[in-house]
Amino acid sequence: MDTNETLRAHISALVDGELPQADVELALAALQEKDGKQAWDRYHLIRDALRATPAPDLSPGFAERLAARLAQSQSQVPSGGAGTDDGGTGDSGSATGVAAPGSLTASLANPGAA
Amino acid sequence: MTTERESDQLLVERVQAGDQKAFDLLVSKYQRRLMRLVSRLVHDPAEAEDVVQETFIKAYRALRHFRGDSAFYTWLYRIGINTAKNYLVTQGRRAPTSTETDAEGAEGFDDADSLRDINTPESMLASKQIAHTVNAAMEALPLELRTAIVLREIEGLSYEEISEVMACPIGTVRSRIFRAREVIADKLRPLLEFPVDKRR
Repeated sequence: MDTNETLRAHISALVDGELPQADVELALAALQEKDGKQAWDRYHLIRDALRATPAPDLSPGFAERLAARLAQSQSQVPSGGAGTDDGGTGDSGSATGVAAPGSLTASLANPGAA
Repeated sequence: MTTERESDQLLVERVQAGDQKAFDLLVSKYQRRLMRLVSRLVHDPAEAEDVVQETFIKAYRALRHFRGDSAFYTWLYRIGINTAKNYLVTQGRRAPTSTETDAEGAEGFDDADSLRDINTPESMLASKQIAHTVNAAMEALPLELRTAIVLREIEGLSYEEISEVMACPIGTVRSRIFRAREVIADKLRPLLEFPVDKRR
């Protein structure tokens, strides 16, 4: 990483409020230079553009379908049994078995069954 | 007064005690945030929604092991990101390489060229071009860089929280976010150095 790149990395962390105090003076000095000011401007422009982009909505009834699937899976799982016993990694090492689009509505159980 | 983390933990403990309705409350709270995150990784909205659903199911099943060492949402995001990654793998897709990043970025500029011809007020056009270029560059980023910058810029997580979610050191988070910004900024350069009104 060359000096300019290092300074831009400091500016990137400064933009996030995550720059160690020891590097703040250096970053502020870099902001006086064209390259530093340009990086500051562009990083904020990127932030604003990303935040302005809307995310797709969940389809109507998502929560109900999920509740139904949970109720169904609960009735199929022996007590004290299966699940991702990964302690929070969220990755038990297996393929996730994500259902194919549209397949979820075919297996609606009674949401109140749990 | 309870913090957000504490109130989530209260609900988690109720779920752990067998109250599924408490989990419904967590779903209601986090479903849109999770969709916002996952849809940046899995682009098809229907597929992203399936990943969100699978994430909640995995979280529900694993919740008995959740001890509250981290915040519930960082734990949930971690499951969501891993579920999205696994989904992409099972679909035979992978994150783009840096070479592809450049190629796809170039495609984005072809689109930007066509946008320049749209007869709209120039400021609106410039904003659209910027948004288009930023999002095209985002989509072409390697998955680890994209995930890091989404967690920071869209979800507003701290570097420490991102390091928990991505299971990597804070220095790596800082570097990934910086590299992501550099790639996107590089794609923006032609638009910013040659503004619309000076190109014709």
